[in-house]
Amino acid sequence: MNEMSILDPVLLIAIPLGLAFLIPLLGLVSKKIVRWIPVVGFLFNGIVALLILPHVLKQPIIVKIGGFVPPFGINLYAGSVGMLLASLIAITGFLVSIYAVKYITKGAEQKYHILFLLLLTGATGVVLTGDIFNLFVFFEILCISSYALVAYLGTRSGLEASIKYLIQGSIGSSFLLIGIGLLYGQFGTLNMADLARQIVDYTEPSVFVSMVFMITGLGIEAAIFPLNAWLPDAHSSAPSSVSAVLSGIAIEVGLYAVIRVLFTIFAVSNFFIFFMVLGVLTVLIGEMSAFAQKNIKRMLAYSSIGQIGLIVFAFSISTQLGVAGGLFQMVSHTLGKALLFLCAGYMIFRTGSMEISSLEGIGKKMPITALCFTIGTFSIVGLPPFTGFASKFMIIRAALANGELLLQILIGLVLVGTIIEGAYFFKIIQTIYFKGAHKTDNREEAPVTALIPMLILVSFIIVIGMFPNIIDKVLQPAASELLDQVKYIGSVLG
Amino acid sequence: MRKCIGIILLIIIAWGILTSLQTMPFGVSRAKVANHYINNGKDETGAANIVTSVVINYRAFDTLGEVTVLFLSAIGLGAVLATIKTREKRDTEKASLILSTGCRFLFPPIILFGAYIFIHGHLTPGGGFQGGAIIASAFLLMYLGCHGEKRLNDRCSTFSESLGGLAFVIIGLIGLAVGTHYFLNNFMPLGKFNTLLSAGVIPIIYIAIGFKVGAELSKIIDLLMEES
Amino acid sequence: MNILYDYIYYAGAFGLIFIGIFTMMVKRNYIKVIIGLSILETGVNLFLISVGYISNGTAPIFSNPGIEAKNMVDPVPQALVLTAIVIGLAVLSLALSMAIRLYKHFGTLDLQQIKEQRW
Repeated sequence: MNEMSILDPVLLIAIPLGLAFLIPLLGLVSKKIVRWIPVVGFLFNGIVALLILPHVLKQPIIVKIGGFVPPFGINLYAGSVGMLLASLIAITGFLVSIYAVKYITKGAEQKYHILFLLLLTGATGVVLTGDIFNLFVFFEILCISSYALVAYLGTRSGLEASIKYLIQGSIGSSFLLIGIGLLYGQFGTLNMADLARQIVDYTEPSVFVSMVFMITGLGIEAAIFPLNAWLPDAHSSAPSSVSAVLSGIAIEVGLYAVIRVLFTIFAVSNFFIFFMVLGVLTVLIGEMSAFAQKNIKRMLAYSSIGQIGLIVFAFSISTQLGVAGGLFQMVSHTLGKALLFLCAGYMIFRTGSMEISSLEGIGKKMPITALCFTIGTFSIVGLPPFTGFASKFMIIRAALANGELLLQILIGLVLVGTIIEGAYFFKIIQTIYFKGAHKTDNREEAPVTALIPMLILVSFIIVIGMFPNIIDKVLQPAASELLDQVKYIGSVLG
Repeated sequence: MRKCIGIILLIIIAWGILTSLQTMPFGVSRAKVANHYINNGKDETGAANIVTSVVINYRAFDTLGEVTVLFLSAIGLGAVLATIKTREKRDTEKASLILSTGCRFLFPPIILFGAYIFIHGHLTPGGGFQGGAIIASAFLLMYLGCHGEKRLNDRCSTFSESLGGLAFVIIGLIGLAVGTHYFLNNFMPLGKFNTLLSAGVIPIIYIAIGFKVGAELSKIIDLLMEES
Repeated sequence: MNILYDYIYYAGAFGLIFIGIFTMMVKRNYIKVIIGLSILETGVNLFLISVGYISNGTAPIFSNPGIEAKNMVDPVPQALVLTAIVIGLAVLSLALSMAIRLYKHFGTLDLQQIKEQRW
């Protein structure tokens, strides 16, 4: 207990918040320190999260904020899922903030770093919290910082994307708030475990309506099919370092919130066919739209929609293996998409254009970046021995496990989506390496601060892909935590 | 076309809400959690204003997030407006002597009133956010009444917003280190009920929030005024 | 009459919410969309606050010793609304700053005329 009181999960939120408040003060002293603050914050978060992670695999840590017993105070629920995602957020944030040290040179730099730090702090809060209104507050931190970051470059397209995102996102958060209000009106509590205990039947009309409101509100941020109109614009017009976290973290966190609400609060059991079909539709629409793109960042953004659909599909299988596969796919998508956006960032910076055709000959010009990009695409498409293969394989196994015909048809459609994905990614790789050989090949590699995060991400992708057992130790408890509502209630309320 | 879709969507939502509201009639008695706050809040937090004890003690983590959201919006506003280069000059007429003198005369009392509101947040209706908003209204009055004469001191507002936020986090961390070892716990003595020096950390946090909110709202006004 | 008495506050709140959503969906002018957003947020706040009301309730403040706890209204929605108002204000101010930028860049506030991004 003594050791644990030092390693309190609340530090994962409190320290970055404190650092963010400190940045304006440090900015008065020196402009150069500021850009290293997010690096320091996420390094700290990564270390703390990885130290806590082994402790929570058997028994979740319930943090009572202010010492009030739930449901009277707000509590954090640091279980396997929460800590897995918190570690992922911290590690990705650490790498992307190293990248951003040299990459962000235009605009109000200091403000960029504050917004970036708070974006990921909000994400950490969402995955750790055990209170539904607290989830809303952290969600808003995440959303508002992304609105501002999408418009950061001040380009016309960035501004337009940001406005679209802001309008749709704020309708979404109002819906979420209405749902929370309806729940509070009926059950008189905001604690997730207490709500879960009191909701016996989610098909009761009044409970169902609040569920629909909440899922719609969260679904906008998670970019599930009919609600994803903002995503391609926002992800393609933000600075690449921001796109990396928006694609890699923000939508995953939205999806986590949807899953948490569905599984833990409402204990939904027979509604999954709907989500499965929605997931497959998301995959097909995302991948087909990505295929038609000529702009590399838009292509990556549409590919994120496809990946989100795959994750939704995996979760809605709702077996132990399926949920574990969904979480694994989240991890591999975060690593892969962050890597792709980081590489694309400097490729666009060097060529000065986002068109895929302008990437001709970049394989000779920036060999290491191009290699990292290639590995990222292989992982996203799902080629062995990279993580994408292991996670997709797990999802396919889960879908085929109980031999239902519907699942077999749907997984077939998902595989069609994967083939389309493969087709457009190979098109890019072909452009990078085999076209434009006549061009002069003076090497212009990305700077070291950009190459280090890329190479670390590549090594993660390869290591986890070769030895999926490392992460499987966390995925299995995490999946059972999501599926076992009774244990969740028991561990919070005692 | 859009109107039709909009109306159809709204009818569906309205139907859903109607079914939902039937189970929660208006004006009935409170639920368990709320009863706990009203019956025990006085003894557990020492604040006479139960809303304050909920905001700053029971649900303090929300408030920390809320303060962060406001901070974010001030920063985001700065980031969005930062890249505008050209700034055309507008013809402005100087305000009359009566107006500008009146504004200057009212400025200190409004600030004082704001400070009163946030210092007494645990006793009377009000608190850091409300007090901060009143302080910002004083700055708004100065901007409107004495156009372009006096500006918010940039360094001063940066200091108060950063220190306010830091104070909140540090009080939380002190709570983690001493007493019952919970983040944001009320580690100070609760004092005599219904007096100014009571309720432990609540007044301190509210003062920090008051400074922070006042500085941030004034900064938002400043930025929007400057650019529009 | 009784039904009206029971639900009039909810009806008002959801009326504002519907007006807000409708404005945001239908209007083309960005400023009008922002006004819709503001109405929507007000409606949501009103809804939250009316969830916590009890008939003939008083404010939950023990300002003098004789006050009874029995009739106090629910303090939680009030705390939630305080948070929601601040969040709404943050979104609104960000939206307004974007309106300023939008006008500088495009010279118009009509969202239909802004088609930088294609599908």
